[in-house]
Amino acid sequence: MTIDELGIVLVTGVLQGSVYALVALGIVLVYRASGVFNFAQAEFGTTGLFAAFVAVEIWGWSYGWGVLFGLLAAVAMGLLTERLVIHPLRDASKVTLLVGTAGVALTAVGIQFWQNNEVPIRQMPKIVEGVAATPFGAAVTYQQLITFGVLCAVAVALAVFFRSPSGLAIQAAQQESTAAELVGISVRRVSMMTWGIAALLGGLAGVLAGPNTTFTAGFLTFGAGRALLPGLMAAVLAGMRSMPGAVIGGLVVGVVEQLGTLSALEQVHGAKALVLFVFLLAVLLLRPQGLFVRRAAT
Amino acid sequence: MTLLKIEGLVVGYDAFPVLHGIDFEVQEGEVCVLLGLNGAGKTTTVSTIAGLLRPRSGRVLFDGKDLGRKSPSARVSAGISLCPEGRRVFPRLTVRQNLRLGAWTRRRDSKTVKRQLDLAYDYFPRLAEREEQLAGTLSGGEQQMLAVGRALMSRPRLLLIDEASLGLSPTVAKTVWEVTSRIKADGTTVLMVEQNAGALPFADRALIMEKGTLVYTGVGDELRQVNLREAYLGA
Ligand SMILES: Nc1ncnc2c1ncn2[C@@H]1O[C@H](COP(=O)(O)OP(=O)(O)OP(=O)(O)O)[C@@H](O)[C@H]1O
Ligand SMILES: [Mg+2]
Repeated sequence: MTIDELGIVLVTGVLQGSVYALVALGIVLVYRASGVFNFAQAEFGTTGLFAAFVAVEIWGWSYGWGVLFGLLAAVAMGLLTERLVIHPLRDASKVTLLVGTAGVALTAVGIQFWQNNEVPIRQMPKIVEGVAATPFGAAVTYQQLITFGVLCAVAVALAVFFRSPSGLAIQAAQQESTAAELVGISVRRVSMMTWGIAALLGGLAGVLAGPNTTFTAGFLTFGAGRALLPGLMAAVLAGMRSMPGAVIGGLVVGVVEQLGTLSALEQVHGAKALVLFVFLLAVLLLRPQGLFVRRAAT
Repeated sequence: MTLLKIEGLVVGYDAFPVLHGIDFEVQEGEVCVLLGLNGAGKTTTVSTIAGLLRPRSGRVLFDGKDLGRKSPSARVSAGISLCPEGRRVFPRLTVRQNLRLGAWTRRRDSKTVKRQLDLAYDYFPRLAEREEQLAGTLSGGEQQMLAVGRALMSRPRLLLIDEASLGLSPTVAKTVWEVTSRIKADGTTVLMVEQNAGALPFADRALIMEKGTLVYTGVGDELRQVNLREAYLGA
């Protein structure tokens, strides 16, 4: 194990972790609002990616408009999920809700397969092609750098938003919904808004991670860009509540996962997944409440 | 002048009714107390006035106008504010953030927000001292003060308070009741729900409820002459 090897783990891990962090943020937001793990969080991303791809590659839109269209498609899917699944099931048990979100994910994957029967494997072009730098010999693409930059911008924007009056109203509705209703906050609108923001975060993960490889239906859930499980792990590290925790958790999960690529573990099959699960298990045993939980989670 | 008029109100959960057609009035500028034992239907009554529950039949008239199916939010804008049973402060927000959210319907009117905030701190100086503390870490009495203060932030014409004395020591309960006199003097009519007859001396009018019907209505000195405690509250 050399310093260079560790350097590569760190750099690659943080870049890959940026996608996990975006997914984790969405998971935490929805969990705080609806008390349920959102199985469809990553599919918001794949749906956004497909929509962006269709706009850019098939309809010939410019890249910017295509990505915007993809993000809008993701947000629309989030709002529809709230309207058609979450709201009607609001008095049902959490398990029912969980199954509901799984249903949304499977429906989305099904539609993607059906729409892409002829060409199942797609390639979304990158925002900017090429390698930006090679620290420790790790090739860092512009696409990855942009993804990391977007994550930082999103983290700051969310922190500012949740301290604004609208953000405080969302927190209030999540903490005591009856009391929020009684001061005149529309809890329904808060729920829509939260799902919309979560879907936007998922959409960002999709359109940013998509160009890194080829993609298929279910890309972010179980495909080449799978980020749902790592995102959930990051959210668990954040105690399912803390948003700064979700960001750091995503990066940590990314780095820990890359430890599985060290040459010392060359002989171990599936080392990446193994290292990650051992890490998560250890954390849950030592600190079941999560790693980065402050009292005033924002 | 009649500020609140309840006509033939029938409210229930699922199959069976809890309120069996009640009628009463609250005059502008008074403190009215609604007394009754556990399960009498007091919370159901104020929740219906605040718009959290829909009546099966009957009307709630505020300032002469039927509130119909107005949402809780629209009722806050119209001037009705409920401090709910069990306080329900926003636990992971600070005292100050809780209070400011109380003025949500007036959030664009920063002058009123500032004035109501000063007023809340004036009623409950304890809250001013603990401005930056998370509401969930306050003592029970402080949380009750915060809940009343938050309900006042929208500058209501009618303040509904559901069992402020619940779980409080007699002294702290009295502090909260005493503030109702000041709230009244500052122009807000108060309807408070209580199980504790200790609130009677602070009221201009009393209503007593038993199993979903009103069994007594009285005003002024009568409240202090009749032994209401023995007659209705079994204590
Ligand atoms: N959500 C509900 N579902 C079914 N029944 C309910 C519900 N809420 C209240 N009830 C019933 O309605 C009746 C009146 O309840 P309510 O809460 O209005 O009483 P209360 O006078 O406020 O009592 P307390 O002093 O204990 O708070 C009770 O018999 C109660 O069991
Ligand atoms: Mg009650």
